[in-house]
Amino acid sequence: MRPLTPRRVAWICAALGAVLFVAVVISLRMGAYPISVPEIVMTLVNRFIGRRNEIPPDFWNVVYEIRLPRIALGILVGASLSTAGAGFQALLRNPLADPYVLGVSSGAALGAIISLAVAPQTPGLIQFAAFAGAAGTITAVYFLGRRGGQIDSATLLLAGIVAVSFLSAVIMFLMTTLPGRDLRGMAFWLMGDLATQPRINLGWLYSLLIIGAGSIYTTSSDLNLILTGEQEARHLGVNVNRVKMVVYVAASLLTGLAVSVSGAIGYVGLLVPHVMRMMFGSDYRILIPASALGGAILIVLADMLARTVVAPTELPVGAMTALVGAPVFIYLMRRRVR
Amino acid sequence: MPAQVNRIVTLAPNMTEIVYALGLGDKLAGDTNDCNNPPAAKSKPHVGEPQNPSLEAIVALHPDLVLATDSINRVDTADALQRLGIAVYTAAGDTQTVLHILDSIQQIAGVTGAGPQGAELVGRMRQRLDELHARLQERPMVHVLFVVWKDPLITIGQATFIEDALRWAGAESVVQSKQNWPQISIEEVVRLQPDYIVFAASHGESAGTELADLRARPVWRDLDAVELGRVVNVSEEAIRPSPGLVDAIEQLAHDVHPEAFAEKSENRTSKTETQKALNAREERTLCVR
Amino acid sequence: MSSLSSSAAPPAITASRSAGLRLKVEQASYAYAATDRSAPKFTLGPVSFEAQQHELVAILGPNASGKSTLLTLLAGLNKPLSGRIEVDGTEVSQLDLRLRAQRIALVQQESELLFPLRVWEYVLQGRYPYGRRLRFESEEDCLFAGNALAQVGADALRDRWMDQLSGGEKQRVILARALAQQPSLLLLDEPTQHLDIGGKVELLRRLRRLADANRYTVLVVTHELNLAAEFSDRIVLLHKGRCLRVGSPADVYDREMLEEIFEAPLEVEMRPSGRPRVILRGSR
Repeated sequence: MRPLTPRRVAWICAALGAVLFVAVVISLRMGAYPISVPEIVMTLVNRFIGRRNEIPPDFWNVVYEIRLPRIALGILVGASLSTAGAGFQALLRNPLADPYVLGVSSGAALGAIISLAVAPQTPGLIQFAAFAGAAGTITAVYFLGRRGGQIDSATLLLAGIVAVSFLSAVIMFLMTTLPGRDLRGMAFWLMGDLATQPRINLGWLYSLLIIGAGSIYTTSSDLNLILTGEQEARHLGVNVNRVKMVVYVAASLLTGLAVSVSGAIGYVGLLVPHVMRMMFGSDYRILIPASALGGAILIVLADMLARTVVAPTELPVGAMTALVGAPVFIYLMRRRVR
Repeated sequence: MPAQVNRIVTLAPNMTEIVYALGLGDKLAGDTNDCNNPPAAKSKPHVGEPQNPSLEAIVALHPDLVLATDSINRVDTADALQRLGIAVYTAAGDTQTVLHILDSIQQIAGVTGAGPQGAELVGRMRQRLDELHARLQERPMVHVLFVVWKDPLITIGQATFIEDALRWAGAESVVQSKQNWPQISIEEVVRLQPDYIVFAASHGESAGTELADLRARPVWRDLDAVELGRVVNVSEEAIRPSPGLVDAIEQLAHDVHPEAFAEKSENRTSKTETQKALNAREERTLCVR
Repeated sequence: MSSLSSSAAPPAITASRSAGLRLKVEQASYAYAATDRSAPKFTLGPVSFEAQQHELVAILGPNASGKSTLLTLLAGLNKPLSGRIEVDGTEVSQLDLRLRAQRIALVQQESELLFPLRVWEYVLQGRYPYGRRLRFESEEDCLFAGNALAQVGADALRDRWMDQLSGGEKQRVILARALAQQPSLLLLDEPTQHLDIGGKVELLRRLRRLADANRYTVLVVTHELNLAAEFSDRIVLLHKGRCLRVGSPADVYDREMLEEIFEAPLEVEMRPSGRPRVILRGSR
């Protein structure tokens, strides 16, 4: 009997953190601008030892304005989506749930398309509108998904499916009938786009990630029990309704956050929690942090590939996440001898 | 906008064409993967796709000015470049008329420090258009269906510059729509029975191939225009707001109003224009079959 | 009616046990209706009975007699409309969720597990009521979990995967998780439903041992007349929401009453052990 200890959690997080660090380093090295590793190191170091003006403006731009922000955004999005995915899989009692199944990304897409139709040349409006769309959908689906005043997993799932279908229809209608103005931005948004930096300081967004993921983490013991049966969990003293509420709100907000700044990147929320389960078990006390780190690693690597395989053309990140994630998933599946 | 412009990067094919037409081809440091006209543009360093160019590639080229158009490029790209300290000029892409395009070319000329060349280029273009207008004044408008895409069938709307270009060529789109790229049903075409069907050439397809394809399709083959072989190809410039647009307009005018050009015109000034005339004649003979 | 038999294997029924009044149900009643405003569809009670340490009490009755409703009251899931239910001197509905889980363990049929889980992980979950909400199990927790597994004789199953267990094994493990809660009161809802006769007897024998040897008070909801008679110290007989009798099996099993309640031709035999046996009449 070897129960999960905080120590083991810390070790696994440290290991994954190290892998993330390596991924970041590799990703920092890749790009169209010819800058060597020593030059990158020099740029990084000089900033912090007060020799900022010794850094050539091009190097500064490439490292601090282009590559690092993009990597940081990728980590944010990857961690948010994976944590949300793990949360939804528990909330909906469904291993196939991904963060978009409850309609959050469809609502965000609708917000985005409306903002593109109304004021296409306002930078940053699309992100704000996308988040507003997401928030609206979260609220609507919550009220639709209740039964007897409490969140019921099956009803919630149905409500989400209805929302997705309805919103998709509206989006398609708008895309065909709007005076055909600047909707080409939409294609990128739908495929996932890490090239556009959010208007809001990344620091704020990271705070939201920590709050959201942290909230879900505090319920991880509860989730472990809920996954063996809701009634059983109640009898063991779990406040099931409260836990479901917390997970729903936190996971939805994390999804809304990710989708607003980068569009709908697929597979991350579904694949990463499963891969982490196969590696570390289904205990949510390790699954949540592992998923967050795993998602960050996946996005950083996928984005790096998206930027470099057919340079200078930049592929959509969403295509790469499946290409990178699926083989890992298949390998782990086959290795599992039960 | 910078005072001296020696290195230019373009983010759209029509911008590339305008740069070359202004005689600034040497100053073009980089363009997109899609920039294929003139052929020299293909061998310039590329920065990626117009909608999602690589910021790093642009930075690496050290441009003084980046040229973009809001009909193809995203505002986020221009925004990001400006935040990196690179000057960007975004031409208004919502041009609704051909004359607006001429103005736009003039402005681009001004910004790139090629004012005089711009004035000359625009002047010549204007002159050709006026001559064409004079020639076609008496003629009735020909009704055409401008096909942007066959499956699904997409044509042009009233607010596009293509519609205006058609008018300069003495033609009019049979479809009047407020949407820019309306998708219509073939039934509508049957009802409207256009005099000519116009395709914008891509991938080097000729009018002959298009006609053969239409003749093999049910419903299409029974259209008057198809039966009479009145299928015309215009060059890609017809759907690009660039100097080549005037060539395309002239060519179209020749195709749908052949009687107005009974005598050969002596005003061809460039090699490409002569080549186009030869192509147009070839296709005309195909049409009449 | 009842007689003491010195050679009886099951403990004598009427001998009262020492102290430790675990459960006290006083005139508890409950009702539920289809909507708030319509007349009650079903009423239960009032019910009164007591249970001591080391006792096994059977809540007996045919289907729809209110057994499961009474169980929800005992488990604290519903608050009685009138009357009191006390466990170890505290009213059940006043206890907060975690405290309640430390006193009362309810054993149900298991729902399907979504993700693979080992037996020991499953049993360890029974320690949830102790400690903070986000908790990591301590050595003490592992000790109690191990004990619980030993008490049900499932020690050998420790490292197996839950979804690879047989029905009987799974039930033992579920029972172990309940025991890991260190409850005063162990509630079981029709636990013999899917078991064959061998399994039924084995389960009841185990429950009997748990009641006798350890400190548990066991309440079993059932409709199995003979099992209840054979293994329980006390029977609470319910019929259509009314509590008809409380007492030892010998006291409670009255032929005419049983026939009316269970709507079957029955005979009640008294065995030498002092426990009754019920058989179908005419089946000679």
